Amino acid sequence: MSENFEPNVVAFLCNWCSYAGADLAGTSRIEYPPNLNVIRVMCSGRVNPMFVVNALQQGADGVLVSGCHPGDCHYMEGNFLARRRFALMRELLNFVGVDERRFNMSWVSASEGAKWKDVVTGVVNNLQEAGPFTEFPRKKIDW
Amino acid sequence: MLDLDKLRALAKETISRDDIKYLIGWRQGTYGFRTSPHFVGNLEDAEQLIFSPLCSSNLATYLTLAEKRPVPRGAQPDTRRVAIMVKGCDSRAVVQQLVEQGIKRESVYVIGCPCEGIIDRRKLEEKVPHTLERVEARWENGKIILDLPAGRAAFPRDEIVAGKCLTCRYPNPVIADVTVGEDVEVRGSAGFEDINWLEVKNAQERWAFWRDKVNSCIRCYSCRNVCPMCYCAECILDKLNPAWIQRSVNVSENTAFQLARAFHLAGRCIECGECERVCPVEIPLSHLNRKLVKEVSEQFAFTPGIDPEAKPLLAGYRPNDREAFIL
Amino acid sequence: MKLSKDKLADFLAAIPGKTVFGPQLSGETLRFTPVTRPGNLCPTVNNATVPPKSVVFPQTETMFRFEQGATDIRTAEPSGETVLFGVRPCDARAMSIVDNVFFWDVDDPYYLIRRTNSALVGLACLDPCVNCFCTSMGGGPASTEGLDILLTDLGESYLLEVLTGKGEMLCQSAEKLLSQASSADKEAAKMLQEKAAAQISRQIDPSGIPARLPALWESPIWEKISASCLGCGICTYLCPTCHCFDMQDETEGEESRRYRTWDSCMFSEYTLHASGHNPRPTRRERTRNRINHKFSYFVDKFKVMACVGCGRCINLCPVNIDILDILSQVGEQAL
Repeated sequence: MSENFEPNVVAFLCNWCSYAGADLAGTSRIEYPPNLNVIRVMCSGRVNPMFVVNALQQGADGVLVSGCHPGDCHYMEGNFLARRRFALMRELLNFVGVDERRFNMSWVSASEGAKWKDVVTGVVNNLQEAGPFTEFPRKKIDW
Repeated sequence: MLDLDKLRALAKETISRDDIKYLIGWRQGTYGFRTSPHFVGNLEDAEQLIFSPLCSSNLATYLTLAEKRPVPRGAQPDTRRVAIMVKGCDSRAVVQQLVEQGIKRESVYVIGCPCEGIIDRRKLEEKVPHTLERVEARWENGKIILDLPAGRAAFPRDEIVAGKCLTCRYPNPVIADVTVGEDVEVRGSAGFEDINWLEVKNAQERWAFWRDKVNSCIRCYSCRNVCPMCYCAECILDKLNPAWIQRSVNVSENTAFQLARAFHLAGRCIECGECERVCPVEIPLSHLNRKLVKEVSEQFAFTPGIDPEAKPLLAGYRPNDREAFIL
Repeated sequence: MKLSKDKLADFLAAIPGKTVFGPQLSGETLRFTPVTRPGNLCPTVNNATVPPKSVVFPQTETMFRFEQGATDIRTAEPSGETVLFGVRPCDARAMSIVDNVFFWDVDDPYYLIRRTNSALVGLACLDPCVNCFCTSMGGGPASTEGLDILLTDLGESYLLEVLTGKGEMLCQSAEKLLSQASSADKEAAKMLQEKAAAQISRQIDPSGIPARLPALWESPIWEKISASCLGCGICTYLCPTCHCFDMQDETEGEESRRYRTWDSCMFSEYTLHASGHNPRPTRRERTRNRINHKFSYFVDKFKVMACVGCGRCINLCPVNIDILDILSQVGEQAL
């Protein structure tokens, strides 16, 4: 893919860790790619796997779900439950032919501004390589 | 070999009991190779009961599909048990429903029917087209015998049974209050040869495969309705506010629909293959389910529908679950 | 007239400015899709799983589009003329039955345009399926109702019968490809058609059904018939005479559209009120409605039964609910 392609990434960040981590990256003036559309959720466990499918349908080129490190969940076990779900959803998406780079999950704590930068940079670079998502966005359908 | 007289006698005895509401079994269909679910409410109905390689329906669906009419004021609700005939795969559905508390153990009476493999009607009709006369079938020495209008014919089991039966590891019911017939040998392998060929392709090839299949989906929802594990009071597919999946029929919504259907069966699918059997446009739906069965088994060493005391897979976790995919 | 089979591709190509739809493999099953290579056509094997109604009454059809903040709407107008090639006589007859509904008190504009712009080239059915019962419903394997041209497969060529002005127009553009049919050809075609009609083994006399149905409203047969029903949409979606649709809005960013999409009376949602009340609360009422609509209400309104005997609902019902079995039960019930 051309270097110019700017992927549209939808990021679901948990309120307690990853959102704060991203915030810290901002307040610390750490520069990272601006391709993210952040949606704050209370917990990574709140992210319904259908959100990912819906994001891809609505024009996202990739999705990132980020939560607290295992054991740090504000609700004790939300991220553990999310981990199981997305381990399966990721395989299912891949099985129907969605490039595995399009779905990403990370653990970023409130103090990991630098890690947040690495995660986002990695995801965006990968998606630049993968190119636009053309398999089943709604817009491709003539309506 | 199964003795139909014994089966019918057992059925009569069962429905004569005070604590049984009705019995769900199979009867010969209206033509050819068809069979139909049969609701036995009296002794007369019991005479039509059959169990043969043509009994494809997974009757466990009817445990949750049965409509509950309002109880008239002053009347007591009917709490009698429903007797149900189950093959190996069907029995796993009953167990999984128990695990999820979709049904209560005391509300079902399970009649186990060990099964040597169910005929795939499409495979059989390719070999024997245009059959209007009702055909009876039975298992005999590893073969399936059919009484065709032209005479008796024997088919090697593996040639005409459904794909799910070739990989079946649970031909004998895993739960039963009473069993008819004798236990049969387990022939299915634990491997996933049926989906490996698709897994080894690259992402573009896999999407090309699925786009073609999903494109022909007409959204009749028969795959969902026939599924014994799809018994939500309100299905995500029916919701309009918000509309998780739009009603328009196109590749985008159809893909989302099939992903939702498959994912909601993750760690729950008991591989009865009904979704694939009923699909009028022949989408290989069980590939999606089998992929998840494979992942569930490899990542979490879990097999749904075996242990009634198990916890639903996605309602729990282990702190050391695999997380190599997490950044 | 006669059309040699090797000239079929040229015949289809000679139709100017029209999209030709024909039965082709889509996934694993036959449905009517635009023909790009005539070699892909499979008109002779079984009838298409999805009936050709999908061309004039698409499963999803945009009605109009609108944008956030704007007050005008942009109506979608179907354009382009189509030729449906290889339509079975039962499906063609079904279309003329469905016309009754869409051209009833008001003309449905979307259907009107698609229907008037389409020509139906039928193919006589010479190898009926097990569950065909068209002869019982007033049709037949070579029925011409609703068709513009009827083809009969004579092996090397098709016997071509022009039935309407529309059919004549189609032939005009391909005049050079056609040859005169001999009386022997016509005789052969007639023989084949009669042989096919004789092959249809499932029969029923439905004449008494419409009168019996109202009396059987509360009959226990409905509970029995519907006991095994799964409530899926196979029998209605794939029925060539079922024509119900639902309307929905869809929004993508600032753009929206209103579209209609097939609906099925077998779904609980079909009659669900906003209050939560459902006048057809269970599958018993829904099954009863399906049969009553086809064989009672439709007859009251349009003097014709909304069933052509194509056998799709019997072939594809997952639990072997057999419309002929239902009708014979209705016929046998004491009133």
